[in-house]
Amino acid sequence: MTAIALFDVLYCYERSGFVLSCPRLELRLGELTLITGPNGSGKTTLSKLMCGILRPKQGRISIFGRRADELSLGEIGSKVGYLFQNPSRQLFAPTVWQEMLFVQEILGQDPQPARARAEQLLARFRLADLKERRVYTLSRGEQQRLAICTMLMGGAEFFILDEPTAGLDRSHRTELYKLMDELLLEGKGLAVISHSRELASRWKCRQVRLREGQVLA
Amino acid sequence: MKSADPRVKLLWAVVCTSGAVFFSKPWWMLGLTGFSLFGALLFGADLVGLTRRLKRFLPVLLMVAAVQVLFVRTGAPLVVVGGRVLLTADGVWRGLSAAMRMVIIFCSGAVMAREDSRRVINSLIQMKVPYVFCFSLFAALRFIPLFGEAFAQALTALQLRGVDLRRVPWRQKLRLYSALLVPVLAETLARAENLAAVMEARGFGALPQRTIYVRNTMNGRDWAAVAVLLLVGVFAVRFYYAS
Ligand SMILES: Nc1ncnc2c1ncn2[C@@H]1O[C@H](COP(=O)(O)OP(=O)(O)O)[C@@H](O)[C@H]1O
Ligand SMILES: [Mg+2]
Repeated sequence: MTAIALFDVLYCYERSGFVLSCPRLELRLGELTLITGPNGSGKTTLSKLMCGILRPKQGRISIFGRRADELSLGEIGSKVGYLFQNPSRQLFAPTVWQEMLFVQEILGQDPQPARARAEQLLARFRLADLKERRVYTLSRGEQQRLAICTMLMGGAEFFILDEPTAGLDRSHRTELYKLMDELLLEGKGLAVISHSRELASRWKCRQVRLREGQVLA
Repeated sequence: MKSADPRVKLLWAVVCTSGAVFFSKPWWMLGLTGFSLFGALLFGADLVGLTRRLKRFLPVLLMVAAVQVLFVRTGAPLVVVGGRVLLTADGVWRGLSAAMRMVIIFCSGAVMAREDSRRVINSLIQMKVPYVFCFSLFAALRFIPLFGEAFAQALTALQLRGVDLRRVPWRQKLRLYSALLVPVLAETLARAENLAAVMEARGFGALPQRTIYVRNTMNGRDWAAVAVLLLVGVFAVRFYYAS
């Protein structure tokens, strides 16, 4: 099933004049798509367009069959999870456990089922021992996994990861790959921005290349 | 007056911001706001451009003002609904003065933002302020745009977590805004730590003195402006506490 589709999308940053153009691109559930290209070629820009953080000047984007411009960020977020290059910017609560329940609490939802689900997710992604740890004392890899767990709490089906391997040592990378495998096995979709050869050789997957703002599918 | 010596602009900013902190009488606040706006225009601050860039902080500032309006319970009741006092004179006044205070500080900031930071550092050093302090201060100011970016991204991330800002009830909204500060502060602290290490690694602060090549000079107009500002300052203090 198609999760995210871009049709002849054009985007331009007014401040720098950088233009990104993408003819047609479909991202499906149960698949991994690698987005590669040199620094400054527009990978982050493309990924932000895919989840509605940036809105295209021309063209159309559909997210789970609905037009992105008719969806609020909140609605998109319940389907698509976005991992920032710098995951500490998407963590808000003091401790790991509070972070998992943060949104449910803000929205005033019944805490009981959320708690059970949070326990389960933390155990599955090897974060259970860190429950009471301060979020900002976590390593980058742990912060990433926590951020992805919170997206799963929100029910995301498609995940966009912006340079997740940057700055991770081998053991954290292995954890990340395991997590990606599990998500794929569950039928979730993944779009991963990366330069890493390791990724491309580990999964024989589709690659989307970018050069100077041009998407060369 | 765009080319006035940085020291003149600094003095003006000090006069305005200390007024903003110490004044609490309505007419004085209003007068000071006018004085600040006039000064900002005179010194050629880019008020419109800066306002546009800081637009996204507006909700936070409005919240701060609104909280005062709603929660200050003293003073004559202004709006009464069904026997319950909604707005009081003191509350409205506190809200207004909070807003004016922000305008005044914004004006001072806008003028200093237009000035070349090297010129300001040099004039501070010429005024015998320790150079380590001057450079640290300006390193700190460099962090402000970073605040904006981190704050905007945190806000986006929060919405992507499924929080629709329009649907969050009032009381929770306050909690939301304080939660947004967590990633912003964490990142700022981390960067500050890095910056400090990098500066020290390059030998910053190794010697107690530092020479400067370009010296700022005050011309006649600058001295006149300083005299006027000092007079205004002294008279303001004199009459504010007399009345
Ligand atoms: N907020 C912005 N405003 C203006 N220009 C930007 C902004 N963000 C990125 N750019 C520019 O767009 C180009 C692509 O950036 P980005 O998508 O971050 O590249 P990548 O992630 O591939 O390194 C760069 O040249 C960058 O300078
Ligand atoms: Mg990038």
